[in-house]
Amino acid sequence: MNYGRELLKGNTDSLLLYLISRQPTYGYQIVKELEKRSNGYFQFKEGTLYPALHRLERDNLITGKWQILPSGQQRRYYYITAKGQQVLASRLATWQDFSSAVKSVIQAETT
Amino acid sequence: MLSNISHYLNRFKSSLQIDQTIRDGVAEELYTHLEEKTQELEEKGLSKEEASKIAVQSLGSPELIAQQIYETHAQGSWKEALFSASPHLLVALLFTSYYWQNIIYVSIIVGLTIGIAIYGWQRGKPVWLFPWLGYYLMPVVITGILLISLPRSWGWIAALIYIPLALFVFIHIVRQTARRDWLYASLMLAPILVTFSWFSSLGTGNEFLMDNMWWASLQANALWIVISFIALAGATIAFIRLKPRRYKIISLLIPPLAISFSIIATSRGSIHPWGWLILFFSLFAFATPVWMQARAQG
Repeated sequence: MNYGRELLKGNTDSLLLYLISRQPTYGYQIVKELEKRSNGYFQFKEGTLYPALHRLERDNLITGKWQILPSGQQRRYYYITAKGQQVLASRLATWQDFSSAVKSVIQAETT
Repeated sequence: MLSNISHYLNRFKSSLQIDQTIRDGVAEELYTHLEEKTQELEEKGLSKEEASKIAVQSLGSPELIAQQIYETHAQGSWKEALFSASPHLLVALLFTSYYWQNIIYVSIIVGLTIGIAIYGWQRGKPVWLFPWLGYYLMPVVITGILLISLPRSWGWIAALIYIPLALFVFIHIVRQTARRDWLYASLMLAPILVTFSWFSSLGTGNEFLMDNMWWASLQANALWIVISFIALAGATIAFIRLKPRRYKIISLLIPPLAISFSIIATSRGSIHPWGWLILFFSLFAFATPVWMQARAQG
């Protein structure tokens, strides 16, 4: 089992919520942004993003709206909801606590 | 020849048995994703054919995406599950404490069923509607059976006017339901199968409603009738709450068939030819949607 992939799987929802909270965005842009911000570390089959987005929408954490661009092209933009903001804040706090705890344990061992 | 993108989207759509609006919406999202990626790769110097091939590969298996989307939308909430099971529980309640003999209780339940079924049908056919719709259809079929039981001249009127009309309404509703998902048609028809299994096994023919033996038999079997409808309610809750489609099929098919065959097996050969006809009709109606589903997947 790839540990990195498992970590990504467990945190996909938080990463998506964070990116959507920064600005309303759409599927393809999310893929590119994840790749850019992680310097290519996060690589996955792009199609798996859509079930995750629909799951977040089902849970009322984000909401999707179709928009027509001046070129006539359609895109579905996702917006974070108030409930999504709360969940994200709580998950980020938990993640930061967890991350600091892991660092403290490792640093105590190596110093 | 189909392009890589069209072929991919066709595979996705044919693998996803879900509300058409949701399916088309996700397919449109995948399409815009593939178009943008293809365009970007073309700008880097790739041919359209190569670019679309890479774009499709980077999305991954369309069947896997379809399965994950299905599992996201297929699981109903506990509230939906309980509301879907409510008509079965109401019927079970009718047969406890002999409420079924009280015309006021029966009228309230029939009125409630008709009202909820019409409300749900007009409000975009949510998943909880279908079991209610099954009970809503039942009077249509029962009236036909009663008309056949009338003296010969009335029977002809039933055969020529009522039955074709009733069949038209029945088939129309089943087709409309199956268009959303074949399994919902079977979910709707499950109570019809169980009710008619009891109906046929308790009676001895045309005289069933006038015959005291039929009523006595109904009374004697009230506890088993209650148990069978509670089991149906349990199966409905499992169907709504389970995510994988194969488990949904199992929870939908096995309990009603098991209940129906148990009723027939314990009827001790008292089923009249008319009863068998009704049973075959309801079994055929119940099993056809699942068979159509299996054929579509094959």
